[in-house]
Amino acid sequence: MTGPSRWQAIWTGCVFVFILTPIASLVFFSFNADRFPSLPWGGFSLKWYVAIFEDVSVRDGFWRSLRVSSVVALLATFIGFAAAYTDYRYNFRGKLPYLAIAALPPTVPVLILGLGMLSFFSMVNLVGTLYAVIAGHVVICAPFAMALIRMRLADMSPDIEPAAWNLGASRWTTMFTVTIPWCMPSIFAALAITAAVSFDEFMIAWFVSGLEETLPVRILALLQGQVSPRINAIGSVVFFISITLVALAQLLGGRAGRGT
Amino acid sequence: MSTPAKSNRRIDGFAVFWAAPALLWQSAFFVVPLGLLVAMTFWVVKSYRLTPDFVLRNWERMFTRDYFWTGYVYTFELALLVAVLASVIAFPAAHYLAFRARPSVRRIAIFLLVIPFFTSYLVRIYSWKIILSSEGVINVMFGWVGLGPFEMLNNAFGAVIGYLTLCLPLTVMIQYFALSNVDRSLIGAAHNLGCGALRTTFTVTIPAARIGLILAATFAFILTFGDYVSPAYLGGGTPPTLSILIVDQTKSGNHWPRASVVAVTMVVTLITVLFSALFAAYGRPGARR
Amino acid sequence: MSKLITPATGLIQRRTVLRGMGATGAALAAPNIVRAQDSDKVLNLLCWPGHNDPAVIGPFEEATGIKVVAKEYVGGDNMVALVNQSPVGTYDVILSDAEFVIQLRDGGFIDPMTPDDYPFEDFFPEFQKFPGHWLEDELYSVIIRYGFLGVSYRTDVLSREDVDSYQILLDPKLTGKVGYFDWYLPSMGCLSCGAGNIGHPYDINDEEYAALLAMMDQVKGQNAGFYSMADTFSSLTNGDASIIPGVGDWITQLLAADGVPVDSWVPKEGGVQWTESMCIGKGSAKQDLAKSFIQYMTSPEGQALSAVMPAYNASIPSKAGWEFLNTNMPDDAKRLRMTFEDDNVMDDYAQGKINIRKTPVQQEIEDWTDAWADFKA
Repeated sequence: MTGPSRWQAIWTGCVFVFILTPIASLVFFSFNADRFPSLPWGGFSLKWYVAIFEDVSVRDGFWRSLRVSSVVALLATFIGFAAAYTDYRYNFRGKLPYLAIAALPPTVPVLILGLGMLSFFSMVNLVGTLYAVIAGHVVICAPFAMALIRMRLADMSPDIEPAAWNLGASRWTTMFTVTIPWCMPSIFAALAITAAVSFDEFMIAWFVSGLEETLPVRILALLQGQVSPRINAIGSVVFFISITLVALAQLLGGRAGRGT
Repeated sequence: MSTPAKSNRRIDGFAVFWAAPALLWQSAFFVVPLGLLVAMTFWVVKSYRLTPDFVLRNWERMFTRDYFWTGYVYTFELALLVAVLASVIAFPAAHYLAFRARPSVRRIAIFLLVIPFFTSYLVRIYSWKIILSSEGVINVMFGWVGLGPFEMLNNAFGAVIGYLTLCLPLTVMIQYFALSNVDRSLIGAAHNLGCGALRTTFTVTIPAARIGLILAATFAFILTFGDYVSPAYLGGGTPPTLSILIVDQTKSGNHWPRASVVAVTMVVTLITVLFSALFAAYGRPGARR
Repeated sequence: MSKLITPATGLIQRRTVLRGMGATGAALAAPNIVRAQDSDKVLNLLCWPGHNDPAVIGPFEEATGIKVVAKEYVGGDNMVALVNQSPVGTYDVILSDAEFVIQLRDGGFIDPMTPDDYPFEDFFPEFQKFPGHWLEDELYSVIIRYGFLGVSYRTDVLSREDVDSYQILLDPKLTGKVGYFDWYLPSMGCLSCGAGNIGHPYDINDEEYAALLAMMDQVKGQNAGFYSMADTFSSLTNGDASIIPGVGDWITQLLAADGVPVDSWVPKEGGVQWTESMCIGKGSAKQDLAKSFIQYMTSPEGQALSAVMPAYNASIPSKAGWEFLNTNMPDDAKRLRMTFEDDNVMDDYAQGKINIRKTPVQQEIEDWTDAWADFKA
């Protein structure tokens, strides 16, 4: 390895250390007995894990987040796929504004979306329901699904579908036998990403969830109200679950991809 | 052979089925709430109750306040700083991954880059709080060599650490994809013409990857500009960023209209920045990728 | 516990009636989306963080089989905002800061209460007709706990003599060490005392308001930061702040018990009393549950457990609660200065240094929040 290249490798290592330090630290300190975690190590303890498993509000929040993120993943991936396919297949007047509406939500800060959605949902009497959280999360998740699926579609020749039509297959048959199977890996990726984004989103949920606090909203409340290593324990549990899901999605996605 | 153009002109059930969901959903839950936000800037609050009206008072009140402009300038500066910092810090790493790293290293690196997206941002910020506090891990370590303690929380430094936690993984990722797509033969040609590594990077690689690099910086700017958690929990809330102003306005006395004024100002700023960036990336004549 | 059993048994018959009413209500409000918390075994409580701690409400939940679900807020304005955003009837019990009860009443968010339902005869006379809880001779809220706000400080940096005047905030050795709990009302109230508005920190004319603003301008250069509730605890613990005006025992009692060198004091210019009280939400389908919950919180046991609430301790208005505390938790009673022999918190009350916290009388709330925002910028 040449000189400058070595320095570049070290720099890259440092960047990764920075990115991973908070994650490593949260797992590490979740096993620390001290209430105000620092060095030296305060002794190994599982008490924060016991505390969160016993804490009903944390447990309820977890299940709510899980329910919300599964519904959001399905809805957002469907909407994202539909928009990506529309962009891929059709040209029409007003396509640019259409794409703008479909793709831009993530560029608006979630804080602002939350504020707007709170006013809107309180008018239609949906504030304090998980429906409001789901509706809000789909808004920011669908564009991610759309981007992922659109990238995959970009690699599909535009002549394949018309070829199938010419051979007598209906549009619907073509969609289900050609297009969707082709997109399967990106659909799995989109499901995983949107579920993760929804599971982690706390700003919109904070504004509109009312008493139906999701897990991140619960964490935010803990962060504001008390100093507690319980946050580390929650973070670690969520981390391991999400990593398992990612690995699973990759495995499934990879298999489906190879299957076509 | 039938071309896609033929199907383009047909408006049928099939097409509407795929085009409609995004349009309907985003209109109902994105466009309408944002429109409501704009409308709300003209409303009034009467004894904690939001009442539709048409007054300019909220705009006047916010725009004549020093704290609003202090917050605006501070937020903009921070976002700009983080966009530059994140880009500069990320570039050598993205460049290394794209051009120098062995495939096995690259695979692991990408996996590690994905991890933060699946770890609660809130929890990562809490983690930094523990690490950076005056009795935290870093200061304890400094103490071992007789240094410190350094104040790393409740100031701009803390906020920037938080912002970088938010932006850096994405910035590295986008830059890496942009650099991976640069035509290797261009770089090879530059080398063959006797161009040094550094010179090649600046005259060939960066211009070729310009779109991705600008997008990465823009995303860092957008994320930082709107983030609430880092400035509030690591930055100590002083001076308040625009996001903190929004939350403060809604918490104290239910000033929704004024929070909306801040929000609308932010959205306008972000749209301006986004379009300037897109123009810089795609719009310059003769700069096609 | 004896207090609990009587209303709880009566509750069952009434609940059947209520359920019927609830169902009719739901049918009328169709297409209403059913909320998971609508179950009649659940009591929705809007409160400051920590009030649904099992250590406080555990006995109530056990005795009644009812689950208390809490939505937490920080600061009375935040509370009013949350109530405003929620559909009518979302919260069965609202824990309000005393000065915001009138806003809840005016906004039509709470119902009047029946005084005979609650054990006012157990309370110290000072708290039997607490100002702001009785509006036009109707009871709207029942006091649960209170505390005094002055300054909280690190005892390794400052002595009690040092902090006997708010002038200490300007001391050069505290530059960059004066922190604030990020809520304008208690903070500006104490600063108002310090600015010379003694005895009426919230009822100040233009000149006195100008003096408050001048005081804030002066101390601004000393600021360390503006903290959330958690950070108020941790900044004193780790020394980021050496002194925090506008807070008091509710912050330091628990820290001191943990061995952190901190204490609180009400300077000679005076301090502020915070008061938490419970109201019954208008439109709550569980009025009787709400009532029995508030009965529990005002019972001797509920009072004593609330005094030692793990999130932050407080003083309690019930003399019977004091007795319960002294019998069952004598150490805590001593620590919280709620014993009958020694110099206790009721003496502070009598000294006249304490002003009851109010929303601004002569200015708009907006003016104060703007001044606070300027102070923070």
